[in-house]
Amino acid sequence: MQSNNQSVDIKRASPRWRRIKDNLARYFIAAGGVGVIIAVLMIFVYLLHVVAPLFGSASVDAPVSIVQTVDDNDANDPVVLSVDEGLTTVLTIGVDGHYRLLDRTTGEIKHSDTLPLDGASISASFKLPGGPIALATDAGTVLMIEVGYEPHFNDGVRTIHAEVEFPLGPDAVVLSDQRIDSLAVAPGDSAWTMASISGGAVQTLRIGLRENLMTGELRKDFERGQVTGTGAVPHYIAISGNQRYLYVGYDSRILASYNLSQVTSPPVLERFDTAAPMTSMRMLLGGISLLIGDQRGVVTQYSPVRDDTGHTALAQLRTLEVFDGEPVTAIIPEARRKGFIALSDAGHFAMVHTTANNVVLDERIGDVRPTVASLSPRSNGWVYLDAAGELELLPINNRHPEVSWHSLWEKVWYENYQEPEYVWQSSAANHDFEPKFSLTPLAFGTLKAAFYALLFAIPIGLLGAIYTAYFMAPKLRQTVKPTIEIMEALPTVILGFLAGLWLAPYIENHLAAVLGMLLLMPFGMLGFAWLSHRFKSTVGEVTDGWQPLLLAPVVVVVAWLSLHVGSLAEYLLFDGNIRGWLNEIGVTYDQRNAMIVGIAMGFGVVPTIFSIAEDAIFGVPRSLTQGSLSLGATRWQTMVRVVLPTASPGIFSALMIGLGRAVGETMIVLMATGNTPIMDFNIFEGMRTLSANIAVEMPESEVGGTHYRVLFLAALVLFLFTFVVNTIAEQVRHRLRQKYGSL
Amino acid sequence: MADQSFALPEEVQSLGRDGAAATIADEDVAIEASDLQLFYGQAQALHDINLRIPRRKVTAFIGPSGCGKSTLLRCFNRMNDLVDICKIQGDIRLEGRDIYAPGVDVADIRREVGMVFQKPNPFPKSIYENVAYGLRIQGIKKRSVLDEAVEWALKGAALWDEVKDRLDDSAFGLSGGQQQRLVIARCIAVEPKVVLLDEPASALDPISTLKIEELINQLKERYTIVIVTHNMQQAARVSDHTAFLYMGKMIEFGDTREIFTNPTQKMTEDYITGRYG
Repeated sequence: MQSNNQSVDIKRASPRWRRIKDNLARYFIAAGGVGVIIAVLMIFVYLLHVVAPLFGSASVDAPVSIVQTVDDNDANDPVVLSVDEGLTTVLTIGVDGHYRLLDRTTGEIKHSDTLPLDGASISASFKLPGGPIALATDAGTVLMIEVGYEPHFNDGVRTIHAEVEFPLGPDAVVLSDQRIDSLAVAPGDSAWTMASISGGAVQTLRIGLRENLMTGELRKDFERGQVTGTGAVPHYIAISGNQRYLYVGYDSRILASYNLSQVTSPPVLERFDTAAPMTSMRMLLGGISLLIGDQRGVVTQYSPVRDDTGHTALAQLRTLEVFDGEPVTAIIPEARRKGFIALSDAGHFAMVHTTANNVVLDERIGDVRPTVASLSPRSNGWVYLDAAGELELLPINNRHPEVSWHSLWEKVWYENYQEPEYVWQSSAANHDFEPKFSLTPLAFGTLKAAFYALLFAIPIGLLGAIYTAYFMAPKLRQTVKPTIEIMEALPTVILGFLAGLWLAPYIENHLAAVLGMLLLMPFGMLGFAWLSHRFKSTVGEVTDGWQPLLLAPVVVVVAWLSLHVGSLAEYLLFDGNIRGWLNEIGVTYDQRNAMIVGIAMGFGVVPTIFSIAEDAIFGVPRSLTQGSLSLGATRWQTMVRVVLPTASPGIFSALMIGLGRAVGETMIVLMATGNTPIMDFNIFEGMRTLSANIAVEMPESEVGGTHYRVLFLAALVLFLFTFVVNTIAEQVRHRLRQKYGSL
Repeated sequence: MADQSFALPEEVQSLGRDGAAATIADEDVAIEASDLQLFYGQAQALHDINLRIPRRKVTAFIGPSGCGKSTLLRCFNRMNDLVDICKIQGDIRLEGRDIYAPGVDVADIRREVGMVFQKPNPFPKSIYENVAYGLRIQGIKKRSVLDEAVEWALKGAALWDEVKDRLDDSAFGLSGGQQQRLVIARCIAVEPKVVLLDEPASALDPISTLKIEELINQLKERYTIVIVTHNMQQAARVSDHTAFLYMGKMIEFGDTREIFTNPTQKMTEDYITGRYG
């Protein structure tokens, strides 16, 4: 009885244990699976989270009134405003030259004084991007001022100490003998150039600067001139940043450019009619592009473009339809981006980015006197006088205007380019630089690298897999398969390193030999096959499946031959310089090119393709091959008609995983491509891939900046690409499996 | 009378003179094996097999597992070639032609000697394409020829009525017995001279087995059939001649009725009556 009871107990206990184990296993596995999905989703969500602000539209907050403390000199409204980048201090200048520096939040006057205008009144002003302000007077003089901001810490409290400085000295320079109506200034290290409209004529002035090394004293040379022989009334002037061109807009649609290298009497270079009457004109940041606003509400961007003959002429880069039918009364360029603010005569306020071809914001803010308004250097706020004479601050959120579908994926006509192009050039040393965020060349480079890698890897990997799985002697296969699979364990950085530092220069020096090897190898193999077939009765036949061992010396001999005959062939056929010959027929040869990448990355992808495809082919049941052979099919027919279709889902997977690896591969392309983001399918030229681009540029990008987010966008594109490819691949594989499956 | 012993080589000679097999006239011999030896590496799997398989009759090979009957069967269509370590001595003649002679195209031999395996092995193709496979690999592309051959083969394999409306469906949709008949249809579609059946019904249920056996009876009107079977009753039911193999040697070969009712060898009798095996 006792023992019977025990056995019952054991029987009872064991199913419970089994159930617990079963449940544990189930939940553990389910948790693992869900965990993987969550991890992938979180990567996706994080990428989206970083990228999303790029596509958020700009916005403005409600205007904030700035309280003005009344003081003795408050007789007149300010005619010039300026605000610092932290939006802490506002500079107001009255018509008589009396200025005040106001604390933006409290309205407290930190400093006030009168500018040395010698009793003249301010009649025009010109704000340079980034700070300096030129004030022109009714006496024909110009005074340059700049507000220097210096942070101070008192007991841990940060205060900004602001002070008015005079970049060209406290003495006003004489530009005209009459009241100046309009002014343009281009600063420089060794010279400044100014131009004014005064008394219905255009005056020019070049100020040469020479600093005395001993005393630090600034010596100025003046060279004055006038634009002559126009016969029309000038309204708008602008000077290019390099002080080489003067642009004048005449009544009402004549645009002329002058050569400022002759300041005294600038000769006209071009003169043409614009599409609509001009209503405003400014240079874009960098001083290369000229922006012209017109009656229709359109801003047109012109830029000097040098054509193939070396002749430079203004080209219309793009037209921006900013306002619908409302004339553009003012264009205020941003100080750090290729964007600007436009105002319409109906009180509209728009933020526009030229490269992105993007009107990011269009708001109505009411009547604004454009001359009495100022954009902060970081474009995060806009100070203006409203219709009631109140000083207002309009905070602006416009962090990533550079990015649009157009700037990311389409051909963009950049400044200094002859025509619209796809360009990736994300950063440069200076602020004036126009960032070029076209992902097209990177996506193209990714596909190009993957294409050449697969061009190398698919034939070798797949045919090798077919041979190994189906024809090779089992003993030989036992050695060959693990050997190739071990190649996969090779770190790609080593492959890239070898490719970039050894293979690339080697192929460059032995190009003829390497190309010759590609040509000779098939002939060598076929020739040897023919010979062995021809003489098999005399020499004897090698056991089936061991032929690759015979082929190995053939490969070595052909390679050796090519290397030695290559230079001779190069000498005879290409005058000893095949690269020179390639150049002559218009093919560029880079040392690090798609062929190197194809070989190196192909080498990395071969084991993946080989291993999976080999497993799939080897897994085809023997009964099927035997069934086919027993019907009188040859081995080849059996392979093509039965084995390959049956293994096709696995083979397809192998190719797709190979593609995925080639697309996402980073180290090899980073080290072997040269990383030049060009759009050319030439096998002898390099490329830059999305992945390598991220690796190269991420460390130098400003966190949270447009560049940083665009790099994340590149990552997202890569992610989506693999996602889409894998999804399609899985669908196709599923279909194939349904068709050839149930085995 | 089949009262000969085949255990020793000299007695094999006597088979040629007076044995049951010897009653087969030369022109009626489909396959003739003489002094056949087969080695797997060092191990000898078949010893001195001498055998004359009559045309358009069913010949059954019986014997315990591992006695070499499947190996012998595979010699007739050279399927043993696929095994690297397999070596063959002696010769096998198909209708008088040495199938192991140098220069013989193996694919040719296999087209004339069809084979059906133990487990149904339809290709992952449609029913139609399975049957047409043997013709397609011979380069026949004409649809009307294929249609005709497929219908003829399926009728010949007693499968036509069951599948004629779903020829384009996957062969995997068929039951095991149907699949096996499909494989037989695939085999006879190329009109071989000999059909080798390697335990064709061992993976099937009794009813499917019965159908296969009926089919074998019909097929022998056109084809020489060699069947390997574990099932003694099956051998008795379907075959005209039976060979009993044991440890790679052919112990006895003769008229099926004789073998089952009045075997000359003690071993044969012991095996048939189930004393070992």
